Amino acid sequence: MQDLISSYKKNLLLSILLTFFVLLFLYGIFATNNYFTWFNFKTIIRDAALYGIMAIGLTFVTLSGNFFLLSIKETAAICCVSFAMGMSTGYGVESWVGSFPISLLVTLLIGCLAGAAQGLFIGLGGNPIVVTLGGAGILYGIATWWTDNLVISFRRPNDAEWLGTGSFLGLPTITWSFILIAILAEFVLRYTNFGRKVYLVGSNRAAGKATGHENLSMAIIVCTICSALCAFVAVAFAAQMSSAQANYFSAEFGSSGDMTILVIATVMVGGNSIMGGYGNTIRTSIGAIFIAMIDNMMVLNGLNSGPRIVGVGLMIVFSILVFALYAKGSRAQE
Amino acid sequence: MENPVLKISNISRSFGAIHALKKVDFEINRGEIMGLVGENGAGKSTLVKIISGFDNGYEGEYKLNGEVVRFENPVKAELSGIAIAQQELSLIPNMSVAENIFLAGAKVKKFATIKKLSEEAKPYLDAVGLTDIDPSIRINLLSVGEQHLVEVARLISHDAQILILDEPTAALGEQESRRILEMVQKIADSGKSIIYISHRLDEIFKITNRIAILRDGESQGIINTKDLNVDSLVEMMLGRELKNMFPVKPTKIKEDTILEVKNLWPDGLIEPVNFKVQKGEILGLAGQLGSGAGEVLAAIAGALQIRSGSLVLNGKEFMPSSPQQAIKNKIAYCSSDRKKDGLFLGRPIMENLTSPALEVISKFGIRSASTEQKYSKNLALEFLIDVKRLNDESGLLSGGNQQKVALGKWLSISPEILLVNEPTRGVDVGAKSEIYQRMRELADNGTTIIFASTDIQEVTYLPERVLSFYQGLLIREFGLNDIKTTSILKQITDPFNETNL
Repeated sequence: MQDLISSYKKNLLLSILLTFFVLLFLYGIFATNNYFTWFNFKTIIRDAALYGIMAIGLTFVTLSGNFFLLSIKETAAICCVSFAMGMSTGYGVESWVGSFPISLLVTLLIGCLAGAAQGLFIGLGGNPIVVTLGGAGILYGIATWWTDNLVISFRRPNDAEWLGTGSFLGLPTITWSFILIAILAEFVLRYTNFGRKVYLVGSNRAAGKATGHENLSMAIIVCTICSALCAFVAVAFAAQMSSAQANYFSAEFGSSGDMTILVIATVMVGGNSIMGGYGNTIRTSIGAIFIAMIDNMMVLNGLNSGPRIVGVGLMIVFSILVFALYAKGSRAQE
Repeated sequence: MENPVLKISNISRSFGAIHALKKVDFEINRGEIMGLVGENGAGKSTLVKIISGFDNGYEGEYKLNGEVVRFENPVKAELSGIAIAQQELSLIPNMSVAENIFLAGAKVKKFATIKKLSEEAKPYLDAVGLTDIDPSIRINLLSVGEQHLVEVARLISHDAQILILDEPTAALGEQESRRILEMVQKIADSGKSIIYISHRLDEIFKITNRIAILRDGESQGIINTKDLNVDSLVEMMLGRELKNMFPVKPTKIKEDTILEVKNLWPDGLIEPVNFKVQKGEILGLAGQLGSGAGEVLAAIAGALQIRSGSLVLNGKEFMPSSPQQAIKNKIAYCSSDRKKDGLFLGRPIMENLTSPALEVISKFGIRSASTEQKYSKNLALEFLIDVKRLNDESGLLSGGNQQKVALGKWLSISPEILLVNEPTRGVDVGAKSEIYQRMRELADNGTTIIFASTDIQEVTYLPERVLSFYQGLLIREFGLNDIKTTSILKQITDPFNETNL
C-alpha cells in the first residue's frame, strides 16, 4: 500500500495529465463532431510536432538549470526568412537559387550561431531572461531588416515540399521528425555523459562546478541544441507555407499567437522542473500532444483565437501549481 | 545563594533512537553570564532550542522564575523574556537599523516615520554601545560585528531578561569580538542574564561567571569559571574514551614530498603560505572559522581566487584555475558545505557517486548502465553506504550518510591528493568514526589527505602533522610528537597571548 501511494505521489503530475488525456479523449469522441477521424488525428500530431520539436530543444536548456530561452520565436523567425531567402534568391548566388541543401545548411548555421552566442553570455553568468530578451530583439530586428518585413515566397514545385507537406506511411514528415528527435533526445539524456551532465548541472550548479562540470560549456551546448531545433522547425514551416515572413511565429502560428509562450508551456505542462535537474523529453512530448489536443478541441468547438490563448495560459498556471505542490511533497527538505 | 531565574532539571530529549539530551541540568542567575560549552553534537543547540521554545517535546522540568513552564513556540518564550540571537544574522540587509530593531513585536505603531522610529531605536542602540550609529542608515553599511550588536539591541527592545547568544563572535576579528564581549559584560551588569555559547574558550574564560559543560548529551556539571583552567575544561568537554573513535596513527612521518605549496596566497589570508605535503600522510589544517585553513584547501583545489602562488605536484609546477583542472590532475576537493556544492541532492546516490568520473565509466561518451551499477556499488561498499539505497535521492539520507556520499564520490577518480574541508561537520558519532577509519586506510594505500577542521579532537587524533591557522595567518607546524589538544587549542585561539590567560 505504501508503495502504491508513493509511486502515485512520485508520478502525480503524470497521472493527473494522463487522466485528463482520457477524459478529453472521451469528451472528444462522444461530444465533438469530426473529432474521432484519421484526418483530425493527423492535424493534432502535426501541430504537436511543430512546437514539440522546439520544446524538446528547450527541455535541454530547462533541465540544465538555465531556465528558458525567450528568443525562441525570434530565432525561428530569422531562420524561416533565411530559408525562404535561400530558396528564392540563393543569397545572391545564381546557382544556389532553389537549392534545398544550401538553404537548409545556411539556416541551421544561423540557428546554431544564434544559440551559441546566447549560450556563451548565459554561461558567463548572464541572466538567461535578460540575455535572451536582448537576443530576441536583435534576431527579430535582423530578420525584418533583411526582408523589409515582406513575405518572401518561393514557387512550387520546389525541393522542400517533402519536408513541408510530404508524408511517409500516412504520417506527415514533420511528425516522423518529431518522433525521431524525441527518441534521440531521450537517448542522449539517459545514456550519454552529456545527458547526465545536463541533469547534474541542472540540479546543483555549484556541485557541478566542484565535480568538474562547468556551466559555461553546458549553456553553450544546450542553447545551440535548442536554437538548432528551432531552425529545423522554421525550415519545415517555411517549406509548408512555401513562403516566410519575420512575424510568422508571432501572429499566425498555432493557438496562442506567440510561439515562445506555447513552447515554454509545452515544457512546463509536461511537468519538467523549472529549476532544472528533473524531467525528460517524454514529458515534453506528452505536453505537446496534450496542448495540441486541447487546442484542437477548442477549434472544433468553434472557439476563436482569444479564448484559445486563455486556454493555453490556464494550462501553464495549472501545471505550475501542480508541480509546486508535487515538489513540496516529494523532495527531501531536511 | 541566589534564586536562579531559569532552572532546568532532568531534561531529556530524544529523536527516534538518538538521545540528544540525557537528564541535563542547567540554571542561570539574574545578571549572570553563563557559558555553555561542548563539542559539536554534544547537545548545546538542542538545549538552547528547548530553552527558547523552539522545541517542546522534552521530558523533565523547566522552571522560569520558580514557575514550571512549557513554551509552545518561540513567540511565547519571547513574551516571557527569553530571546535568542542566532549564529547566523536574521537582519534584513536593505532596511534601516531602526526598522530592523522593530522588525517584530508590537512595540511601534503600524505607521511610523523613519524619524520617529530612529528616535525610538536610539535608547536600545545606546544600550549596546552603538551610540554613534545613525539608526536611519541601511544596516548593511555596518560591519558584521555592529550588525550582531544591532541584533542584541533588538532582543533588548523585546524586554528580554534572558539573552541567548549563539557564537556571536564566530565570524569576527579580534577587535570586534572585544567590542561584543565588553557589551555582553555591560548588559549583564544591568541585571540581564546571558547564556553565552562559544567555541572560543578564551572568551568563555574571560567573561563568564560559571560554565555549563555538555558532553554527548549529558551534563558534566556547572562549574565556577574561577575553578577551571583550559586543560581541565577541555578534558571535561571531550572525555577520554573518545580517543577510541580514531584509527591508530603511524609511528613516523613519511618523507616523500608529493605536493609543495609555494607562496600560495588565497583570498582571505593575510600573507602567503608555504608548506610541503608528504605522500600518503594525513595533514591537518587546524583553525577556527575565518582562520584561513579552509581557504588554503579551496585554493589548492582551484575553487578559490588566489593572488599569487603555485603548487609543485610530483615535481611539476602548476596551478589549477578551476576544480575541473584540479580533478584532471587527480586532486579532489570536498568542501565543508555538502548541501551547497558537495551533493546533487535531488539526484540518486548512484549518480552522485559517479559524477566526477563519467569518463571512466563510459565509452565514446555513452554509458553502460551495468558498468555504472557495478562501479558505484563498489564505492558504496568501500564507504559503508547502504547498497540497496543507491537509486534513492541523496537528499533523503541522514547527515552522516550524505557526508559519506560527498566524500566517497571522490574515490571514483582515485585521487592522488584528497582535500577535505570539515570531514565530519553535522555527522553523528558512528559515521564520524567510519569516516576517520576510511581516511586512514586511504592514506595507508598511498592517497595523500589534507583536511581542514575546526573540530579540535579530529585535529588532534587523526593527522600525523598539523598546521595551525589563526585569523588568516599560518602560525606553526606540529609534528607527530607535539600534537596535543591543549597546545593546538592555544595556537588556534590565542597564539599571541592577547588575552593573557
